[in-house]
Amino acid sequence: MSNILTNIIFLPLFIAVILGVLRAPLKLLKVGAFFSSILVLLLVVFVIIDFDPKGNMQLITYLPWIQSAGIFYYIGVDALSLVVLTLIVLLMPPLYLYMYHEKRKGYWYNMMILQTGVTGAVLSLDLMLFYLFWETMLLPIFIMIGMYGSGMHQYNSMKITLMTILGSMSMLFSILYIGYIYFETYGIWSFSLDKLSLLSFNPQTSLWLTAGFLLAFVIKIPLVGFHTWMAPAYGSAPTPAVVIMSSIMAKLGIYGIWRFGFTLFEETLLFYTPFIITIALIGLLYYAIRAVSENNLRRMFAYSSGSHLSLIALGLFVNNIYAWGGSLYFIATHALASAGMFIMIGLTYQRFRTLDINSLGGIAQKAPLFTFFFAFFALSIAGIPGTGGFVAELLIIIGAFKENFILGFLTSFTMLSAMIYIFWMLQRVLFGQPNNSTPFADLNIKETLMLLPLVILLILTGVVPSLFTPYFEPYLTQLLGVAS
Amino acid sequence: MNSLIYILPMISVLAGAFVLMLLGAKSITKTKTFNLITVGFLIVAFTLEYSTLFLEREGYLYENIFAHVFIIDKFATIFNLMFTSGAILTLLINNDYFKSRHYFTGEYFALILFSIFGMMMLAHAHELLTAFIALETASLSVYALVGYHQNKKVSSEAMLKYMILGSLTGAFFILGTALIYGATGSTSFDIIALYVENHQLKDMTLLVVGATLLMVTILFKIGAVPFHAWVVDVYHGAPYPITMFMASTFKIAIFAIALRLYIIDFSSINYFWTEMLQVITILTLIGGSLIAINQKVVKRMLAGSSIVHSGYLLIGISSIGIGSDLAAPAIMFYLIAYFLSSAGSFGILSFIASQNKQEMTYEDFKGFAHRRPYLALIMSVFMLSLAGFPSTIGFLGKFYIFTSAIDSGQILLAGLGILTAFISVYYYFKLIAMMYFYPSDKVVQKFSIDISTIMIAFIALLIIWGGIGTSLLSFLPGANGFIEIAKEAIVSLK
Repeated sequence: MSNILTNIIFLPLFIAVILGVLRAPLKLLKVGAFFSSILVLLLVVFVIIDFDPKGNMQLITYLPWIQSAGIFYYIGVDALSLVVLTLIVLLMPPLYLYMYHEKRKGYWYNMMILQTGVTGAVLSLDLMLFYLFWETMLLPIFIMIGMYGSGMHQYNSMKITLMTILGSMSMLFSILYIGYIYFETYGIWSFSLDKLSLLSFNPQTSLWLTAGFLLAFVIKIPLVGFHTWMAPAYGSAPTPAVVIMSSIMAKLGIYGIWRFGFTLFEETLLFYTPFIITIALIGLLYYAIRAVSENNLRRMFAYSSGSHLSLIALGLFVNNIYAWGGSLYFIATHALASAGMFIMIGLTYQRFRTLDINSLGGIAQKAPLFTFFFAFFALSIAGIPGTGGFVAELLIIIGAFKENFILGFLTSFTMLSAMIYIFWMLQRVLFGQPNNSTPFADLNIKETLMLLPLVILLILTGVVPSLFTPYFEPYLTQLLGVAS
Repeated sequence: MNSLIYILPMISVLAGAFVLMLLGAKSITKTKTFNLITVGFLIVAFTLEYSTLFLEREGYLYENIFAHVFIIDKFATIFNLMFTSGAILTLLINNDYFKSRHYFTGEYFALILFSIFGMMMLAHAHELLTAFIALETASLSVYALVGYHQNKKVSSEAMLKYMILGSLTGAFFILGTALIYGATGSTSFDIIALYVENHQLKDMTLLVVGATLLMVTILFKIGAVPFHAWVVDVYHGAPYPITMFMASTFKIAIFAIALRLYIIDFSSINYFWTEMLQVITILTLIGGSLIAINQKVVKRMLAGSSIVHSGYLLIGISSIGIGSDLAAPAIMFYLIAYFLSSAGSFGILSFIASQNKQEMTYEDFKGFAHRRPYLALIMSVFMLSLAGFPSTIGFLGKFYIFTSAIDSGQILLAGLGILTAFISVYYYFKLIAMMYFYPSDKVVQKFSIDISTIMIAFIALLIIWGGIGTSLLSFLPGANGFIEIAKEAIVSLK
């Protein structure tokens, strides 16, 4: 049973390698990929059943990897990583269904490798192991945008890669330096998170080290100022890659700050709090304005996603249980909603061959089911009551108000701004006169089936949050109890 | 009798060289046969060398004849293993290249063996003049190899450039030796080390000047800025197999003598050169990056990037000077890592060159992944390893180098190293982008399974295994095993 996490991480990669070596035909490849995602989903269900919400790190595997340098294969799961892990495995099967008609084999291989990369990053508790996965998950994205993207995809792919690697290099420097400080203090090398958290740094060094980590994470999120890769990359990436980027990789930035930032540099982060909150607030506004003025659907939701991730980051740095609970909840619900939204955008593109808002319109008359799903996902991104996004945003805003009034006021502005661009977009895309003579089919049964789980989950998270909170509430109280 | 087993590999290589010279006099033997014979002798040498790896050893090679001229230690053995395997890889991977060009004759292979012989001597050398002779044996062979294609202007130019500059710096080595001899009365490493230990720095001006001159030669041979002017042109002008041989094997040989000198002889006065080395390191890292980033031809880019890799190794050397215990094994490990990655990347280039004769620019690689998917994949592995991407051995090499730099307090140098590693991501990933991101209008070529491709694939697997291989499989030297080997080598030095 202790190997279950290892299986969860490496099963997709293993299947990909086997299929690659056998030079599997396309059909087998599709089945294999889908099968791997279902298998991993089942394994994660086992983990959830076994999971003890009151416990700390669970299902720990601790094996020597490079002993002389103190690098261990050290993985484990707690409430925080369980949330992200569940998201990953929930999103993979619908994505494979979405890719059903994809004929290019590399696509499938990349998705499987990508899954291993992101799951590994979520579960690893050794800094070098984390760095390995953190970099590895970039490669499939690099290839997918560059090979299967549209527009200036070569350029955009290089841009996202270089910017994120700049971030991870700065993180690498911090990791090495922390490892060295441990070596200096205890005489042996170690990169295990629990051991490194025993260290205390002098304030000056700590500022630099934290900055190294933060740079990597804020580029990945991205907060405003570090975002120049975002819209081009989202714009040219193929839909599955966009879904992974916005629903999972961006969340990993948040996860990284949470897991590594708060474990290692609790106090130093307080120093950075005003800075992060400021750029998050600027981001909320800036991204909303960009989203309003954007005419390309995918780029618009790229900005919208940036805006909501700024909100999550803000919630994380407002140090109370409402905001943290809200952030964690928002990580999950926003991932589901934006995954659904980007899949819908992908379907729109398949049908109309354009994503220009002005050349769309009048969809509601022809395709009611499509309209329902499209509107549902868009609105749950905006956070209307009844969807999980509402609960999460509300919690963050309450948290912000508890911190101080002005912050709360400014934060609640996002909900408003999101409403503006979402409703205006819906009106232009779905209603009005058809601008486009393309024959337009409604969702077929397969597409409906792939979207339905996301809808159900979003409604469940919105209507009965109490189903999910027991899993992470003890974790949060414990965390904040320790903090205060 | 005890020494015989240690000298046999060298004898085997030398014998091979003579056999090939004799065979080369008649023009009946085919290139393929020459290649086979050469590889045969090298494999014998490798096997013999490997069999000595686990022996307990101390002392000198035929002490009664050579006195303390050749030392026997694990350090030399491990370097010799790298040289012979480097040559074997070069020859096997370039099998197709040799067949595709008409100008490879028996002497060519003899020269490779002579230069390997020189390098093996260099690894064993425990005396300055011997080291010089060994270095020149290796260098002269390489000069000739660089200009081996007489009808090609670039080649001849490269050879002249390399030979004139190389001989000039060789003169520095001799001058340095003379000065050290003047100071200590001996050229043996033992006596120099004794002298250095028993004197104050301020009383050793002559020796310090001499040692600095030795360093000039070493820095020239590894292509450190400002001694780098030859690197790009020579690498570009040389035939592919020789570029591969120089980048992967010959460069390592220089470090064999450098490490021996600076760890054993000048260990107590290493700090004298630290600042000088730091400046050179910074110049090398930045200069190399600037050179590499501007190249259009892939071979020249790799040549430029090899300067940057010298820069990383220099970080390690200056860390030794400050007294980091991690630095020397880090350099050894980095050498192994760089040896594998550069052998692979140059090897694959020459494999491609054996099938079409054009110069390979970045543009020529457009759509390569669609024509040759497997080769492109393997090439990507080499690029990732050179760029220091995690899960390859190149990353661990950089990891050890940077930790050693931090350990010795050179935080800025480590930072600069990481920054240049970031820059290098650009020019390595550019190649991957070219290969994968553009469509190809040519037909898919099948992945031919022959000795060249098998060797290339083998190196790629070794690179990945060296990056992620766990210590659970103790019989295979994975990520854990290689650093242990490196440590043993360094321990045996002291």
